[in-house]
Amino acid sequence: MTGPVLEIERYTLDYQTGRSTLRVLDDISLDISAGEVVGLVGESGSGKSSLAWAIMRHLAGNARERGGQLRLDGEDLRGLSSSRLQALRGSRLAMIFQDPSAALNPTLSIGEQVAEVLVRHQGLSLREAWARGVALLGGVELKSPEAMMRRYPHELSGGEKQRVLISTAFACRPRCLIFDEPTTALDVISAAQILALFTRLREETGVSALYISHDLALVSRVADRVAILERGRLVESAPAATIFSAPAHEYTRRLVSAVPDPARRLIDQPPASATALLEIHKLGVSYGRPGFVDRLFGRASETTQALRELTMTLSPAEVVGVVGESGSGKSSLAKALVGLTPFAGEIRFEGRVLSNAAGMNRAYRRQVQMVFQHPDASLNPRQRIGEQLARPLRLYGLAPGESEKHAVARWLEEVRLPAEFASRYPHELSGGQKQRVAIARAFAARPALVICDEITAALDVSVQATVIELLLELRKRHGTAYLFITHDLNLVRQIAHRIAVMYRGDLVEMIDAATLDARGASHPYTRALLEAVPRPLRGHPAPSSLQGTP
Amino acid sequence: MPDSLKRLLRSPQGMIGAVILLACLVLVLLGPWLAPYDHQALSITERYRPPGAEHWLGTDQLGRDIASRILVGARATILLSLLATGLAMLIGAMLGTACAYLGGRFDEVMMRTMDALMSIPSLLFALLIVSTLGKSGMNAVLAITVSFIPGMVRIARSVALAQRRQDYVGAAIARGESSLWIVSRELLPNIAAPIIVEATIRVAFAIMLFATLSFLGLGAQPPAPEWGLMVAEARGYFFQAPWMMLMPGLAIALVAIGFNLLGDGLRDALNPRSGER
Amino acid sequence: MTPAYLLKRLLMVAYTLLVVSLLVFGITQLLPADAAVTILGQSATPEALEALRTRLGLDQPAWWQYAQWLGGVVQGDFGTSMRNGLPVGGTLAEALGRSLVLAACSLALMLMVAIPLGVVAAVRRGRPSDLVVSALSYVGVSLPEFVTATLLLLLFADVWNLLPATGYVSLSEDFVGGVRHLILPTLTVSLIMVAHVSRMVRSELVDVLHTDYIRAARLKGLSRRRVLLRHALRNGLLPTITIVALDIGYLLGGIVVVEEIFAIPGIGRELISAVNARDLPVIQAGVMILAATYCLVNFLADLAYAYLDRRIQYA
Repeated sequence: MTGPVLEIERYTLDYQTGRSTLRVLDDISLDISAGEVVGLVGESGSGKSSLAWAIMRHLAGNARERGGQLRLDGEDLRGLSSSRLQALRGSRLAMIFQDPSAALNPTLSIGEQVAEVLVRHQGLSLREAWARGVALLGGVELKSPEAMMRRYPHELSGGEKQRVLISTAFACRPRCLIFDEPTTALDVISAAQILALFTRLREETGVSALYISHDLALVSRVADRVAILERGRLVESAPAATIFSAPAHEYTRRLVSAVPDPARRLIDQPPASATALLEIHKLGVSYGRPGFVDRLFGRASETTQALRELTMTLSPAEVVGVVGESGSGKSSLAKALVGLTPFAGEIRFEGRVLSNAAGMNRAYRRQVQMVFQHPDASLNPRQRIGEQLARPLRLYGLAPGESEKHAVARWLEEVRLPAEFASRYPHELSGGQKQRVAIARAFAARPALVICDEITAALDVSVQATVIELLLELRKRHGTAYLFITHDLNLVRQIAHRIAVMYRGDLVEMIDAATLDARGASHPYTRALLEAVPRPLRGHPAPSSLQGTP
Repeated sequence: MPDSLKRLLRSPQGMIGAVILLACLVLVLLGPWLAPYDHQALSITERYRPPGAEHWLGTDQLGRDIASRILVGARATILLSLLATGLAMLIGAMLGTACAYLGGRFDEVMMRTMDALMSIPSLLFALLIVSTLGKSGMNAVLAITVSFIPGMVRIARSVALAQRRQDYVGAAIARGESSLWIVSRELLPNIAAPIIVEATIRVAFAIMLFATLSFLGLGAQPPAPEWGLMVAEARGYFFQAPWMMLMPGLAIALVAIGFNLLGDGLRDALNPRSGER
Repeated sequence: MTPAYLLKRLLMVAYTLLVVSLLVFGITQLLPADAAVTILGQSATPEALEALRTRLGLDQPAWWQYAQWLGGVVQGDFGTSMRNGLPVGGTLAEALGRSLVLAACSLALMLMVAIPLGVVAAVRRGRPSDLVVSALSYVGVSLPEFVTATLLLLLFADVWNLLPATGYVSLSEDFVGGVRHLILPTLTVSLIMVAHVSRMVRSELVDVLHTDYIRAARLKGLSRRRVLLRHALRNGLLPTITIVALDIGYLLGGIVVVEEIFAIPGIGRELISAVNARDLPVIQAGVMILAATYCLVNFLADLAYAYLDRRIQYA
């Protein structure tokens, strides 16, 4: 085949909402040749998923196509009859979704969901399809494929489910695959394994692919060519090897500089302090208590240990990163420190010993603040921003000579929000703005330590960069220490002095961020983690737009 | 609140429901003055008149004007149902929120007991209570209240539990707020809306249940112009004068539809996130 | 399904019934009326009343009476009726049989109508057929049984003269006659449930049709038919089990009303006449039996759900 496999030519799409129309895709042209993988990168609202739905011909009811062509192997996709379309989907054109847990039907066996594609598109009998399915599952490196066929989705891990979906997508030897953030819902190490699997399958089958993601660093590793989408417009398309080193468009440059790069440290050394701010001694958290019937049957082991005997210290103005996958106990640590969950062991803060949440007095509550992952959940939807910012001021007092109204306005200004936001409700703000309010609320208590629990995980990368910049600025001004919990190793290597690596409730290693590259990690899990994280593919260091000094 | 009202009136359910209930409000407030005849006036010559120009909805076996009786009876039927639901809502919201906030043993015992109460169908529960306390309108209200409480507790608890798990409650606890503040200022405003929605829909059930009790002779007593009772009294003259049964029956159905529609409309309108963005 | 799960559920049922029995007994104990007076009438001599009180155990403390009564109930002895002196258990068992026939017919009719209606409305969401179904369901849930019954009687028994108005004919004696007598009561009882359940089916199925796995199934190129029947329907209808089980409460309440209107000698009619005559043992037994029926149905529904949904093996 000579021509491109997938051609998108001057494609324009609108969404109709009431009387107004919203342009989602504006004059998009993009070709994918045989065997090529094109990465499509954009932030939320850029229209990248809409393009995937348009290609799959699965548009929402209010979508209006305003023009352009979509062709697969020269065949016009927009003009296909529904029966031709059904024959094409899942055979020559297949798609893989973000969340593998949601993309598998919970009440059908894995085998049925793999085999039905073969029955549908290759006319196999159920028996033949089942046998092929076993082979397919073996082909994506799933252990004991026969048994796997008879299982149900809830019995599989996230990585295993994504493997099943990949095997289904490859089942009928597609010409082109569309990946929509296929590793976003997975932990770092499973994601790396899925990417390795895709690389292998791609070499074996010579498939073309459109790989959609918000993660520029990851896409630069996976794709041959990267296309950048900004609010429905394709601003740049360049070879993956040069997108980081020589971004042409202004938006790409901003995006590139916002991508966390461990080589670019944003933090200075902490002021050497003799006394520790916070000492954690053998901290443990466990959930669940055995019910009546469980005790009757002598099953007392229903509780799960979320955190085991964690010991660490934190100095004033120090930034300690905590990394680990979900279930590693990092959030339990945060909850225990602010008294949201019962704990065992001791917390020593400024010389005072605490052995339970009841011992956390007003002074401790003021000094230790927390910012949560989802500002949607952590801000009360029925209170105005001003009321919520005023709470810590009421509880812990105002600065001398300042009225409450002034203080609220000042804190909004400190997080670079206009003062009139005080009279708004949270739902009137964007995600990044809401997180700034949450940060302002924490700082309004004038804390010595702020615990940040995945505070940028729900934000776009450019918004994340500004939030991080804000945090570092606030630290400079107020001398605050951070316990920065995240799953993003690249990010935490930029901003933390030390990094605590957690795995299944244990602190496996405490590493020094500045010297990590030189010395390396000692624990095998840390090494695996470092290996699995995709770092930006860079020729030479890009100019930094952030203010941190390396 | 004006925003929610606008949103309510923009949805077809909310609009129709609001119009029906506005009409009901007029009936409740002004019914006796709007009535074309004295609702108790008997007339031998005017018996069994079918609906027409003189008597819009006809007359009954004693020659009483049915339209007037319905207008006057609106007060009893609607107000007593509202009272029963309102009481059940208040008690249920308090118990349910307490269950969610306290958790543990208290919650478990409470919920199992509510399950037990729910296993007695509400009509039977009402029968049981009315048979004990005697037949009267107020006893029927009490019976409906008691039989509605378990359902309201369940709903309040599940809503409160979902809100309690939200991080803004965690943030308040971590900030060192008092329990009283958290329950009254953080939690309650967020659980009030869904509970009010549920209660609105339940008023429809209350109206039907109250009318059913009266119909069975266990609620309002003759000669009260209660709608369910009117249907019951008309049964004997069913084949001669079917409108005697139909008119109050349709009135019950219309009001119940109004509350059902308004409840569904409110559900969308009171969601703080269904706003502009 | 683990034995621990079964045991847990059974213990819950037992606890529920215990609370119900306490409640039923407690409330009826509050009755201002003196049972002995009820039985013997106002003109009875004080000696006769005293003798009867002793015989009935009414002079014993309340907890002792409760224990006696509960002991009897557990063995299936519900005491004797105050009106006719017959054992309550036997009378109610016969009445319950007739009521269950009506309940079963109504339930079956409801499922046959409500599920297809809900599915059609969900699949054709926003189109005229959906709007019609949803408008009808608003009307359906707002019509009390006695109004529905009235309308049906008016049309079928009076205007068109197709079906008998009231009364009961045993199916085993005269099948055709029995069925003819059952039609209107069955329609009445099922209407409100049809309206409620079809709405629930619609909203559950609409949710399922918007999930990623349905989207994934369609993008695999599967036919609409297979996506609906094999992928969506099972997940969409699972919650219906619980909804229907909870609706059994309405069903039982509806049966009480409908039996009264159509003069069917079932348990509901027995209960209402017992309430009017303040016949304590019958009221207690009737409520206990109906509550136990509700518990049993919900217990079975939980088991069915746990069996059908692979994700919940034990809760």
